[in-house]
Amino acid sequence: MKGTILVVDDSAMMRKIVLRTLKTAGVELDTVLEAGDGVEALTLLRANTVQLIMCDINMPNMSGIELLLKIKEEKLAVGVPIVMVTTEGSEPQVRQAILAGARGYIRKPFTVEHIENNVKPLLVA
Amino acid sequence: MSESMFAVKSYGAQEFLSAENGVRADEAVAEVFSMMLGYEILPVDEAAANGCEANERTAIVGFSGSMRGTCEIRMTTLAACSVASAMLGGTPVAEGDDSIDDAIGELCNMLAGGWKNRIHTLSSDCALSPPTVISGGDYKVHVRQPSMKLARVYRFDVHTLHLTLHRQDLAT
Repeated sequence: MKGTILVVDDSAMMRKIVLRTLKTAGVELDTVLEAGDGVEALTLLRANTVQLIMCDINMPNMSGIELLLKIKEEKLAVGVPIVMVTTEGSEPQVRQAILAGARGYIRKPFTVEHIENNVKPLLVA
Repeated sequence: MSESMFAVKSYGAQEFLSAENGVRADEAVAEVFSMMLGYEILPVDEAAANGCEANERTAIVGFSGSMRGTCEIRMTTLAACSVASAMLGGTPVAEGDDSIDDAIGELCNMLAGGWKNRIHTLSSDCALSPPTVISGGDYKVHVRQPSMKLARVYRFDVHTLHLTLHRQDLAT
C-alpha cells in the first residue's frame, strides 16, 4: 500500500510489535516513521505527510493526548486516522482521546484481529 | 481547585487481598502471554518455584491514584531473552541486547494495566508509571509501610515468572 505510517511509542519494542501486527493484518504502508514521544512525532509530522498514525498515550515529554491536541491545533494531520494503542483503556480515557481527535482505540495486549477490526476500516473509509 | 478534585476513592486492603485478585492476576498474565508472546503460562506453587537467582531481570511499574503501590515482575535473563524474542515474532535475542529491558518493561506495563483494568475502581482512577528495569539479583525492593502484597509464580516454556503486586496504604 502506498503511503506513510507514523508509530509513536516510547518503547522501541512496542513500535516493532505494532508494525509487525499491522503487516500480518495486511496493513502495510511503504514508508514507516517512528517517534519515541509526542515531541518527536510533532517534528516528523511538520516535515512529512502521513496516512495513518498509531499512538501510545503514556509517554515522556509529551503524552499521546497532548500530541493529539497539538496535531489538531496545528492542523498537521487533517483527515488522517489516528489510533491510540495503550494499556490504559477506561471509558473516560477513551472519551478524552476521541474528543482530542483519535478515530480508534486499541488496548494492549492486542491481536491481529484487533488491528483488522479497528484499523483496516479507517483506511478504507 | 475544588476539594472534590482530590477525592479519590481508595482501593481497600480487603479488596486487594481477596481471592478474586489472584484470579485477576492469573487472567491478566495468561492474556498478555497468549496474545503478545504466544506462550501458554500457568500458575505454580510458589514453594516449588526457583528462588532468587543472581542473573536476573526485574521490571517495576508504579500505581498512583486510588491505589498506590507497584507491580513487579522478576525472571532470569534467559527467560527475559525468550520474552523479547517472542515479542519480536521469534527473532533470536542475545543476552546483551537492549531490547530485553524494553521487552520486560513493556510486559510489566501490560500486566499491571491488565490487572488494574479488571477492577472497576482502579480502571479509571489509577495511573501507571513508566517501567523501571533492574539487572541483577542482589537487591531488595523497599516499599513504605504499611503495605501488603500479592505474590504469584508462573511457569512458561521452561522459565519461571514471579509477579508481585504491592499495595501501600494511601494514608501513609
